[in-house]
Amino acid sequence: MIPQMQTKTETNIKLPLAFILFGLVSFIAAQSLLWMNTAALSNGIFRMPDLWMAAHFLLLGWAVMVVMGAMYQLVPVAFLTPIWNERFGFIQFFITAVGVAGLSIALSLKPDAAIIAGSLTVLGILMFLFQIGMTLLKQEKANIMSWFVGGALVFFLLTILAGLFLTWNLAFGTLVYYDSLFKSHLIFGLTGWFTLLIFGFSYKMVPMFSLSHGFSMRWAKPAFISYVSGLILLILGVWSSAGWLLTFGWGFLWIGFTGYAVDMEEIVTKRIKKKLDQPFVFSLVSICFGWVIHTSALVMSMFHVKDVTIWSWMIYLYIMMWIIFSIMGYLYKIVPFLWWTHKYSGSVGKKDVPTLKEMIQEKWGTILFAAMTAGVLILAVTAMLEMPVSVFTAQGLLTIVSLLYAGSIFRVLTR
Amino acid sequence: MDLTKQVEEALYQVIDPELGINIVDLGLVYKIDVNETNDVHVQMTLTTPGCPLHDSIVSGAEAMIYGVDEVNDVHVELVWHPAWSPEKMSSRAKEMLM
Repeated sequence: MIPQMQTKTETNIKLPLAFILFGLVSFIAAQSLLWMNTAALSNGIFRMPDLWMAAHFLLLGWAVMVVMGAMYQLVPVAFLTPIWNERFGFIQFFITAVGVAGLSIALSLKPDAAIIAGSLTVLGILMFLFQIGMTLLKQEKANIMSWFVGGALVFFLLTILAGLFLTWNLAFGTLVYYDSLFKSHLIFGLTGWFTLLIFGFSYKMVPMFSLSHGFSMRWAKPAFISYVSGLILLILGVWSSAGWLLTFGWGFLWIGFTGYAVDMEEIVTKRIKKKLDQPFVFSLVSICFGWVIHTSALVMSMFHVKDVTIWSWMIYLYIMMWIIFSIMGYLYKIVPFLWWTHKYSGSVGKKDVPTLKEMIQEKWGTILFAAMTAGVLILAVTAMLEMPVSVFTAQGLLTIVSLLYAGSIFRVLTR
Repeated sequence: MDLTKQVEEALYQVIDPELGINIVDLGLVYKIDVNETNDVHVQMTLTTPGCPLHDSIVSGAEAMIYGVDEVNDVHVELVWHPAWSPEKMSSRAKEMLM
């Protein structure tokens, strides 16, 4: 007998959309704040309140909120199981949004009060972890994607716990190991949570958007094990101050990332859809950027480069060219999917409906992505060379492009 | 034209919005059965399990078949085995993806 599966997988569009719209506004806010603080960027001074605010709007307000929204849409379809409780999701959105906005602003205006909004953020994120955890538990059979997403969620939890201790320190100043904790916060959040999540969903989305067939995914499991091992070694290196542990950590991260990149290359090579959508190509290009950044970090670690400014810009490139670019590219696919499903799903077979490609301005997207790449590279290079005018110009370009990018996403909602 | 053929013709109008190709040319429709009371049973698949357009394409196929004169009841069954493969596509679909 031919097995049947007919699962209703669509989530109420308002839930993912609320997160994504909040994310877009935060993205503009973050870039604008960075533009207003280019003097600090030019001088390589990153640990200052206004930049904390920009960083948290960028990573929590934009990246985390968009990822949460995307997961509310993607988890049900990728794991073939509905979201555990949608109403709980709306409450989670409200708490997280208030917490993230409050925390970001407090870090600049009243750092000792950040603990209050930080606690609210932690509560919102814990609710999200609980929601997704309960959803994944309903999945009948775990696969490698479950491991990547599950691993990402564990590192997300560790990130917010480390973040909570950091805000505790701002309020009460009792922590001795502040530097190690701060580095752990970055490693857990950037390399653990975001990267593992992008890995996991790429194994689903890249074959889907390229209509690939007959690929092996043979590096998926080794990539997961190697990347997680690398993360653990990095953390051990940070807390023990053993340089060789950091180098080994970067080595394992590089092996993991390379394995993932090799799998993605095979998937793209075996695609049936020869002409890929440009925004999706941007997400694929970000994998190349990610690999170059991992390679550079490994080489820097091997040659004992300890210059804080260079490492700070490496982290910036990691955030922008790997994490943010991946998210930006995928969002150009995810939002049309969301809106199309909401607006036209019930009209298929009854009247003419547009294709997803007709809902986005692909050429405009390509220009924005190219401008974004140029802006980030110019910013990083000229900041390291301490060229304030160029830094100001590049960040201005990034702010304008972010605004136009958000506008192009909002435009989809008018189609 | 017999009813099975009319149903197949109707399914040519259901377009996968991601690929812009109809589901018959994509090779997603496995079987069309019409019984003596003109109830239609269609077995179809999707290019991948967990396709976000899962519900839309199935309900679109149902709506299109209901639009065929003389059709009584419609049941579209989504199956994953045998899995879809590119060989199931028509040459027209393959050309469109080049």
